[in-house]
Amino acid sequence: MIRTVFVCGPLSITATVLTTWLIMAVLWLVAWLTARRLSIDPGPLQSAVEGVVSSIEEAVSAVAPQHARRILPLIGTLWIFLVGANLCGLIPGLHSPTRDLSATAALATVVFLSTIWFGVRIQGVKRYLHHYLVPSPILLPFHLLSEVTRTVALAVRLFGNMMSLEMAALLILLVAGFLAPVPILMLHIVEALVQAYIFGMLALIYVAGGIQSQQLREYKRGGPHA
Amino acid sequence: MELSWSTFLLEIINFLILVWILKHFLYQPVLDVLARRRAAVEEKISAARHMNEEAEQLRSEYENRLAVWDQERQQAREVLAQELNEERLRRLEALTSALAQEREKTQAKESRQRTKAQHELEHRALLQGAQFATRLLSQAAGPELEARLLTLLLHGLSALSDDQALALKNQRGEGPEVISVVSAYRLSAAQRQALKEALIKVSGLETRVHFEEDAELLAGLRVTIGSWVLYASIKDDLSGFAEFAHVAY
Repeated sequence: MIRTVFVCGPLSITATVLTTWLIMAVLWLVAWLTARRLSIDPGPLQSAVEGVVSSIEEAVSAVAPQHARRILPLIGTLWIFLVGANLCGLIPGLHSPTRDLSATAALATVVFLSTIWFGVRIQGVKRYLHHYLVPSPILLPFHLLSEVTRTVALAVRLFGNMMSLEMAALLILLVAGFLAPVPILMLHIVEALVQAYIFGMLALIYVAGGIQSQQLREYKRGGPHA
Repeated sequence: MELSWSTFLLEIINFLILVWILKHFLYQPVLDVLARRRAAVEEKISAARHMNEEAEQLRSEYENRLAVWDQERQQAREVLAQELNEERLRRLEALTSALAQEREKTQAKESRQRTKAQHELEHRALLQGAQFATRLLSQAAGPELEARLLTLLLHGLSALSDDQALALKNQRGEGPEVISVVSAYRLSAAQRQALKEALIKVSGLETRVHFEEDAELLAGLRVTIGSWVLYASIKDDLSGFAEFAHVAY
């Protein structure tokens, strides 16, 4: 049960939103502290941030080398935010925003829309929509169903894993007592990182697939010089 | 497990805002820094590669220069060796010539010294022979030897040819008043007469003959006719022998 902290007009501000704002504030603070002291000779903080950004760039470039700089902010933000969101459940008094289906559904929706957005921006509307009709127009319903189901799966997978982890820790705490759920919390760390990686990597694959599916078909049709 | 549309909408907005924040405050600056650093590294690598190429070029030039130096050194060494060989041959030839000259000088000097030593030895031998003969003849001298010498003198005078007799006459100059005959021992009358006749015949003079004795002659006679003196004594012969040795050497 997600608690509503306050109501602002038609919007209910829940703990999930507040935690998200907190994570955003922290990330913005870290980004600002890092960005204002960037230099050719990096310090420890800059080295760590550069390592994170370089790793994300390499991962994105490995999947979509021609459009890495364009989709890097989305994928990088997904990874960074999900790591922070998944791990903040370990802090006493806070809950992971990703244990809320509304948050994971929002992220999955963003990925779904981003897939369409980048596909249309790069391929054009006609060519992007055309990829739903290949190899045969008969497969159009299945393409559409796939788009919906993978988005739902993306949201439910993350929500289910994170909620189950917190639930398991809570149940063990209630049954076994103090310090008993520590191993589960350690598992929480691993699971948080793994789920963030899976979510971001799937999003990357979906977006890159939407961009490159049409290109791949044109490549097969016209050869390398098409 | 309920879906809050308010939370759903706010989360979408929050995430898009976060994408914008991180894009402008994190990704872009960090990627720019990475790009600048990469460019700086590439520039350094390019500079290092350029320096490496220059170093390789310099190394190649130095190696070529070293090769040229080696070649020049080898040529200079060959020229020097040739000059040394020529100088050595020239000096060797000069030394050989000098040695030959010195050898000739030494041989000539040794020959002279040998000749001189031989002459000295011969002179000394003659002197010793003269001394020995003088000592021997001094001991062996006597009237018999003098008679024998007189006989030899008379035989010699009688054996003179006409030309020799004429030469003697020309050499004696103006006719002396007396013919002096000196003997080591007193001559007998017969000897005196025979000698007188022989002298008058040879000299062609009818002058008085004066006989006297001188023991220093050891044996024999000395006949003086003006500036012409006939030596037929042991002393005179030995003196002449010694003088001959002295003059000869």
